[in-house]
Amino acid sequence: MKDTRAMAYVNMYGVLGALENLCAMDAKAKEILAGLKKPVSMCLEVKDGPCCTFHFTREGCRMTEGDTDCTCKMRFASPEKFNNLIDHAKPGMPVKGVVQLLTFLTGPFTKLTDRLTELLRPSEEAMRDRAFFEESTILTMYTIAGAISALANTDPIARLSASYTVDGDLSLGIKDAVSLTIRVKDHHFATIKQPCEKPRVIMEFADIDLAHGLFTGTASTLDEMCRGTIYLSGMISMADNVNRILDRVSLYLA
Amino acid sequence: MSKYPEYSHEKSHAWFERARAVIPAGVYGHLGPSEGLFLPLHKWPLIASKAKGTYFWDMDGNRYLDFMCAYGPNVLGYSDPDVDKAAIEQLAIANCTTAPSYKMVECAEKLVDTVAMADWAFFMKNGTDATTFSVMLARAHTGKRKIFFLRNYYHGNDPWAMRADYPGILPEDVAHNVVLPWFDMEAMEKAYDACGGDVAALIAQPYDHGNFFDNRVATKEYWQSVRAFCDKHHMLLIIDDVRAGFRLDLAGSDHYYGFKADLICFCKALANGYNMSAVCGREEFKATAASLTFTGSYWMSAEPFAACIACIDKMKRLDTPALFRRLGTKLTDGFREAAKAHGFDLVVSGEPALFYLRIANDDSLMLHQEWVAECVSRGLFLTSHHNHFINAAVTDEDIALAVDIADDAFGVVEKRHPELKG
Repeated sequence: MKDTRAMAYVNMYGVLGALENLCAMDAKAKEILAGLKKPVSMCLEVKDGPCCTFHFTREGCRMTEGDTDCTCKMRFASPEKFNNLIDHAKPGMPVKGVVQLLTFLTGPFTKLTDRLTELLRPSEEAMRDRAFFEESTILTMYTIAGAISALANTDPIARLSASYTVDGDLSLGIKDAVSLTIRVKDHHFATIKQPCEKPRVIMEFADIDLAHGLFTGTASTLDEMCRGTIYLSGMISMADNVNRILDRVSLYLA
Repeated sequence: MSKYPEYSHEKSHAWFERARAVIPAGVYGHLGPSEGLFLPLHKWPLIASKAKGTYFWDMDGNRYLDFMCAYGPNVLGYSDPDVDKAAIEQLAIANCTTAPSYKMVECAEKLVDTVAMADWAFFMKNGTDATTFSVMLARAHTGKRKIFFLRNYYHGNDPWAMRADYPGILPEDVAHNVVLPWFDMEAMEKAYDACGGDVAALIAQPYDHGNFFDNRVATKEYWQSVRAFCDKHHMLLIIDDVRAGFRLDLAGSDHYYGFKADLICFCKALANGYNMSAVCGREEFKATAASLTFTGSYWMSAEPFAACIACIDKMKRLDTPALFRRLGTKLTDGFREAAKAHGFDLVVSGEPALFYLRIANDDSLMLHQEWVAECVSRGLFLTSHHNHFINAAVTDEDIALAVDIADDAFGVVEKRHPELKG
């Protein structure tokens, strides 16, 4: 069962959080950003939920927590209403920089999120293109990584897993493709989209095809561990608990 | 140059692939790699061909000096002649019969004579059966719902004993579990009050022998406090002695720590690998035990009872707890010295009969995993995350060999990590 508030955090940190990576790696997204006349810092504030600001410039997108330096803001009365933005493109209430917000929302933002959807919910045909396939899988990895921390901090079941997770950095990656960090401190999780300098545990998928199989459920984590195609090393109890949270991620992102 | 060349595992791994084709995970659970603990996988044998004494052989003919003992059941040595003889003789007489064999009665009498707190014994097949039976009994006897657990617990695979974040487990399955820290009586009192007294039992291992961290032995004073707490609140005190049972004290690990459990669960060391488990209990809980609907197709088979009787008799003759303490201490002293000579800080914890190892030079266990892998691939079977086990077939020569292989493996890891000399 999904928790609505936890879903809002997944949508903010996992799905919309992937805009940072989309804008950094996708040519079409870069084209959209190139059309920006001036930087836009759009805050999405959810009552009883997350509050983040997405800073868009021609160079890319950066997400920060809170509303500091936002130039426009959209408020959602509840996590459920925020989830409607993701599921049904229903916007919230503009409360700051209304003109800029509406212009951005109906223009570049919609184009970016449409592109994000293309990559995160790809068609079979699109995935036949190897470059698209790789980009889609890597972007999914970033989305999942954001969702892991979102759920570890908010979903009742995932929080149980988090309560058993020791402090330290988990290095999560796909060999020769992407590497990022899940940082745990006092059972609070944070996803850092940078390689891990001093991991306490390493979990790495052998290649992009395997990662795609695991993400789409055509490959089994357990079976791949038996084949040795998922490289594990270090504090395995940490990886074990993160794996349990990953099970929850699958449920939320399905 | 390594003194002990690395094994190769082509045939064993080919068998493992065959296993994967027809068995989920190939080898599921704690004996296989599906829990991600055989690091790296190619260093592990995976499938065995035979076993004798304290050794087993893989499908490539490689021999392993085994300090995991099938994760506990091997207490006298694989294929112990006395236990096997009793079992085989019983097979020729009767095994799984409509009216259970008299061996069941003899086995219960043997346990009652051996285990200090026991007034009766109830038989089943696995540790999980024993713990599940005990929790059911506690609830039936007290009419209360909550069960206290101590953190890092493992009481088997039935849903009540797992966590809500495990696949297939519902929050409702574990809704009445209350998990408390070890060695904290104040937390226990607070939790009891928070539950409004609706607590049927505390279930715990005799000491904190969980995985992935240094094991913490208990004190007699701690257990006396817990005993008094349970008495005060009319809660049952259930000792899960599945792992440690008969390795610390043939009269039960509660006896070893100077208290009396209400129920005690045995399995691993009970019959040297023959399939049975048992719960022993005090007289006042016998009627409730009789009232439970709890049985299984093979639970009264005679062959394991015969094996159990022979196993207990032999453990008594050998005084295995004293033997295990001596061997475990000698072995781990040797490991520690070898580690030190190569610049490693090897932490040994837990009871010597079930020693736990951890290289403390880093906090990630990566060095430890490397060392364990080099030991395993040279014929010394250890594990990187779990306590180990001693069996009675281990000799002083085996200890010397184990320390020598461990030393060799330390040398390999040391050479690979010049930065440690820093």
